[in-house]
Amino acid sequence: MNNKIEKSLYYPPGGILLWIIIFLEFFTFGAALIAMVFYSKDEPEVFHNSKLLLNTSFGAINTFFLLTSGFFMATSVEKFKENNISKTTFFLKLTMVFGVFFLILKSIEYYFKLEAGLTIGYNTFFSFYWMLTLFHVIHVLVGLVILIVNYIGLKKNSTNNLEDFEASAAFWHMCDLIWLLLFPIIYLLF
Amino acid sequence: MKKNLFFTVWMVLIILTISTALVSNSAFVKSVATAIILVLSAIKFLGVSFYFMELRNSHNFWKYSIIIYLFVVMSALILILK
Repeated sequence: MNNKIEKSLYYPPGGILLWIIIFLEFFTFGAALIAMVFYSKDEPEVFHNSKLLLNTSFGAINTFFLLTSGFFMATSVEKFKENNISKTTFFLKLTMVFGVFFLILKSIEYYFKLEAGLTIGYNTFFSFYWMLTLFHVIHVLVGLVILIVNYIGLKKNSTNNLEDFEASAAFWHMCDLIWLLLFPIIYLLF
Repeated sequence: MKKNLFFTVWMVLIILTISTALVSNSAFVKSVATAIILVLSAIKFLGVSFYFMELRNSHNFWKYSIIIYLFVVMSALILILK
């Protein structure tokens, strides 16, 4: 009984080390978002007008992409637990496809912003916009690399450790969670 | 069975996302709209962490850590925006 409690405390889904990283990421993004909102009090008009320059539809569609990707990832982990490798790889592929959709749409959004001259030095709002969203994009890219490595491992039958697969999934879901904080605050709040 | 649960959670998350976007474009008083947007986002955050990340099956320490983190961040945002 005692062992069971101890195990569940030290072994959250994906492992304790990954969860320490996840919480560090949450604290970093949380602190940056609080700082962004804090600075908006000094320049409310700048933040409001800058927010109007963002495409809310792009942000909402990207939320859809990441949530759908997260749904497929959770399903893939479930299939892995059932030892159904063909379905695991199928859902993992769908997870990556929606992750790539997110990156494509984000690139289009970045292209329009750069074309309009809304670069990182344009004003305080766009400094936060670029730093936060680019930092998030880097996480999505790293997550995609991790998923590709898992996919190749599954195809070669060399990935069979549930905790490793759950850790990869937890990292991917962390990208969803960070976006769920970024989207409303950057695109909707000001 | 679990896939159906995941699908239900996904549907709820999508509905909440649409609701968040609608609230931001609505005629609500700004402070009310802000509070609704942040609360809906917090619910989505918990939906993903508790269901997709399976945190609901983990030790209470992890569940409460996520809830406390979210509470602190959302409270700070609401207090600053007040």
